[in-house]
Amino acid sequence: MKPLRFFQSNRSLYIILIAIIILMAILNPTRFFTVGNFISMSYQIPIIAFLSFGSMIAFLTGGINLAIISTTNFTGIITILALRAISGQATYEASVSSSIIALSVGLIAALSIGALCGFLIGYLEIPAFLVTLGIGTLLNGVNIVITKGYTISGFPPFILDIGNGLLWGIPIPFLIFIVASVLLGFLLTKTVFGISLYLVGSNAVAARFSNINIRSVYIRQYMLSSLFAALTSFVMMGQLNSVKANYAESYLLVSVLACFLGGVDPFGGFGKTGGMVLSIIILQLVSTGVNLLRLDPYLTQAMWGLIIILLLGTNYIRSSIREKRRLSAVLQEAKSNPSATNSASLL
Amino acid sequence: MQEFLRLKSIYKSFEGVRALKGVDFTINKGEIHGLVGENGSGKSTLIKIISGFLQPDSGKIYFEGKEVSHLAAGETTSWGVQVIYQDLSLFPNLTVAENIAYNEMLEKRRPFIDWKEIEHIAKSAMKKIKVDIDLAKLTEELPIGTQQLVAICRALTSDIRLLILDEPTASLTKKDINNLLGVMRDLQSKGISILFVSHKLNEIFDVAENITILRDGSTVGTFPSKSLTNDSLVELMTGKALTQVRHSQAQISSRITLEVRNFSKRYNFKDVSFNLKEGEILGIIGLIGSGRTELACAIYGISPPDSGELLVNGKPARIRSVQDAIAAGIAYVPENRLVEGLMQKQSVMDNLNAAIMKSLSHAGYIPYPKRLNQASLWINDLNIKVSHPLVPVQTLSGGNQQKVVLGKCLATKPKVLILDSPTVGIDIMAKASIHEMIRSLADEGISVILISDEIPEITNNSDRILLMHAGKIRAELDAAKIQLSNLERMMSQF
Amino acid sequence: MFKKILRQNEAYVFLLILALSIVIGMRNPSFFSFENITGFLKSYSMIGIMSVGTLFVLILGGTDVSFTAIAQVVEYAVVVLIMKFGGNILVAFFEAAILGIVLGLINGLVIHKFRVPIIIVTIATFNIYFGMLYVITKGKLINNIPQMFKDFGNILLFPQKSAIGGTYGLSLMPLIWLAALILGWIVLRKTMIGRGIFAVGGNEIAAERIGINTFAIKLFVFGFVGFLAGIAGVVHVAIVQSVVPNIIVGKELEVIAAVVIGGASIFGGRGTIFGTFLGVLLFAMLNNGLTLLRISSYWYSVTIGAIILIAITVSAYQRLQRAKTNVKVQIQE
Repeated sequence: MKPLRFFQSNRSLYIILIAIIILMAILNPTRFFTVGNFISMSYQIPIIAFLSFGSMIAFLTGGINLAIISTTNFTGIITILALRAISGQATYEASVSSSIIALSVGLIAALSIGALCGFLIGYLEIPAFLVTLGIGTLLNGVNIVITKGYTISGFPPFILDIGNGLLWGIPIPFLIFIVASVLLGFLLTKTVFGISLYLVGSNAVAARFSNINIRSVYIRQYMLSSLFAALTSFVMMGQLNSVKANYAESYLLVSVLACFLGGVDPFGGFGKTGGMVLSIIILQLVSTGVNLLRLDPYLTQAMWGLIIILLLGTNYIRSSIREKRRLSAVLQEAKSNPSATNSASLL
Repeated sequence: MQEFLRLKSIYKSFEGVRALKGVDFTINKGEIHGLVGENGSGKSTLIKIISGFLQPDSGKIYFEGKEVSHLAAGETTSWGVQVIYQDLSLFPNLTVAENIAYNEMLEKRRPFIDWKEIEHIAKSAMKKIKVDIDLAKLTEELPIGTQQLVAICRALTSDIRLLILDEPTASLTKKDINNLLGVMRDLQSKGISILFVSHKLNEIFDVAENITILRDGSTVGTFPSKSLTNDSLVELMTGKALTQVRHSQAQISSRITLEVRNFSKRYNFKDVSFNLKEGEILGIIGLIGSGRTELACAIYGISPPDSGELLVNGKPARIRSVQDAIAAGIAYVPENRLVEGLMQKQSVMDNLNAAIMKSLSHAGYIPYPKRLNQASLWINDLNIKVSHPLVPVQTLSGGNQQKVVLGKCLATKPKVLILDSPTVGIDIMAKASIHEMIRSLADEGISVILISDEIPEITNNSDRILLMHAGKIRAELDAAKIQLSNLERMMSQF
Repeated sequence: MFKKILRQNEAYVFLLILALSIVIGMRNPSFFSFENITGFLKSYSMIGIMSVGTLFVLILGGTDVSFTAIAQVVEYAVVVLIMKFGGNILVAFFEAAILGIVLGLINGLVIHKFRVPIIIVTIATFNIYFGMLYVITKGKLINNIPQMFKDFGNILLFPQKSAIGGTYGLSLMPLIWLAALILGWIVLRKTMIGRGIFAVGGNEIAAERIGINTFAIKLFVFGFVGFLAGIAGVVHVAIVQSVVPNIIVGKELEVIAAVVIGGASIFGGRGTIFGTFLGVLLFAMLNNGLTLLRISSYWYSVTIGAIILIAITVSAYQRLQRAKTNVKVQIQE
């Protein structure tokens, strides 16, 4: 199958974004364009956003992180257990410092899972699909065994603030989302690690020959992916004031959807945070729009699926046009400069 | 000789660019015909037209002397034309029997499978070229030379009259190549015509009776192979006379850059020892399967040896990874450019910088201008023809791609540069330019190990030559004093 | 000969099943009882039927995650249709088959025409099918399913009286599972289409070159997955005797895991019916074993996850070892 490369630029996404905003303006002007609505959306975006980033990071090397949801839940469970260890039963009264310590323990738990995934992928050369399927299933089971299926609640104010608080009038989770997006974008495009990810994603064998330590890349990659699982967990703990073994289960598919919408190539080597952010916003707008129109919220799900199919269709049409244009451009160059280009492969 | 297929004044364009401009081509029954031409000469297009995959824009085609008015897609298959592409187009996960029989089973259009019939078809195909391959084995378990025979058997299941082999010998050992050439002669004796496309001119000379040369989309001419020499053939292919100048080392200092002592690796090589002086070009000549690439990979840290020592500039170096090798000053241009050398869809810039990113960075951060400048340095230095550093490296020609790989290695400022079959699949002019580059690198003081199985390449560019065969170094020769014919004899002795 | 058998993945799963049977059986001999075996076979029939479809997609070279949504939609639709228009169980299966095939063909069409990885398309169709199901049904359960389904689900072959007064026996559901396995085997082993699936999974470019109709193959595979998912949906209704619109979805990864453990490669081109059966059987026995050994069912996922990890680690280790002894050069002295 020819490798798939979605939008080179984010132009199509901007068009879709504007189209949806216009649609909302027509259908629902009064309730959509209120400060309240925008604030409400900015509380909801971060959870799916962080999960999507986590998935995207795995896709960059052609991998996948099927364990991301259970890592998220695991982080939350470890955090509350740590809180209990520190503050006893009255976890909802824990101090800021205790909260931070507990969150750190949760974070370390998540990073360890990521490191384990990366290790199996890098050192034992097991496909990411299988590794994360196994670890995800195992972790899910561990979560169930620890919680016995029950919800555990009682988070202290510091953590609740992460989910619900405001800072300078902006919801804290949204702030974290913005900071994380910017940092991730920087990390992926301007650091050795980030560039290495794309190179390994394009051709891991050649990357290895090119002095890139691919084992270390894989470990750091899945640790980074799990970092975002931890962030998801922090926000979820704050918003739901509880943890459970099976929260956010349906979000795995949505996060993968967001990645493809955002231009990430599932075979590795391509994908930018800019596209991801646009795609996440688009998905959120659709969801909110559907809610405001008092339509069945499950319609959101169906609509997301439909958007993807439509995009796949239009992208196919556009890329075959683009391919034809590229072909003639290269052939033109071949005509004028026979020895410089690789036209032989095209003819 | 009776005419089998004749093409006259064939024109073919793609998107306004003319790939074939009035090509004439004739192949007779029972003839082995060689087709040569540089990349971009139109070879592939011509093959696709002959095999029925593409329709010509204009021109006449004569089949067995009779003009064919309209060429339907795939019609040539019914005339008995079969192509075996370089990648063999086999199914790795299916058995030998199934692969051989697949074409015929498809034609029969029966929904159900008779396994006995498959076995029967496969056995009779194998009989035609007198081979016996384990039918139950999965194709991927076979060595590549045997896989090729499977592909040929599959082609033989139909009533084949013309077999087209597209670059069949690229990754074959000498034994396999001889085997294949023998099979070709065998088929010829049965009246089957063979069109043999290859850039390995010695093989063309070995079996082809006539050679057609394509250049820039036109036929330069068709000549009996006996009337051509290697040099005259090259001249006709490129349009330029090529003089091969022997590399003469200016001064080789007596300092020893690299010392390899008793390198051994089970199933790879044994007891390999040699020295490499500063500014010297050491040629290692050996065929595929001699252990030469395995040796290079051991020195480069890809697959470290079981035992042995390595010293760089007198200091022992323990190389267990590529990182260790680069740190010790060893760089390697891999044998397989596409799979091991380049990240095809990434930019030229990123490929050039890949090995030195850490040194370009500051606490992990690499400013974009720095990446661009660094890449531009090498683009200029090595004369890489590219419109912009950001284009994907896959759009470059083979020669330029190899220059990118070279640039990537040179950026690490190596003391030892190992080049493994660096000019395979590269046009003749680009080949010469790369050889020149290698020589000037040696003149600048870099120690070079040049691995190849092409005798002229080794003899013209090395100061000293090591002959490797079956995992061991068999001879050490002074390049200035060696005779080409002697070397050929020595290689065929083993 | 033995070495070849041992190399096969299926051998390990088989040994594991044997070992597991012994461990469970020793602690609780009722494991081997007719009642127990027919019981867990029945409860895993739905997954068993769907696993055949998943095998086909894996051989083709991808992963489909929409089959649970198809099963869910078809299950609901068929029950509603029967409630509205009546019909016997054969009508139900017929409707399920048609509906399932149509939903599956949509997958095949998009995947081939737009040249997109299977997982992307099936995620999208999953969302569309499942989302629309909920929009239309508002998530309503159906408890009063037509008696016809219950009767079908209650048919018992070789009925026996149990100690507490009920009856037990071999339900028809495992037989349908068996039929699916046999059908899958015949297609894969005895038909050109089946070999075509392997061919496309092994080398799609070569398949197109020699003239295999890859479009037809893909349509067939996804149509077949839909067909099986539809049948599985009806089987499910017969087993649980109610329609819960969100109970089948969520099992995709479990089915895929079972097929992979059974030896199918996620790279495509490889897999056997027998291995798939063993994989599902293993999971069924594990689940059953936990109950019999009075271990809380919470440990199910942990056990499955551990088995997956051990299996892939062992297989990877073996692969690396084999690479070390790969004779690259015939060294002569």
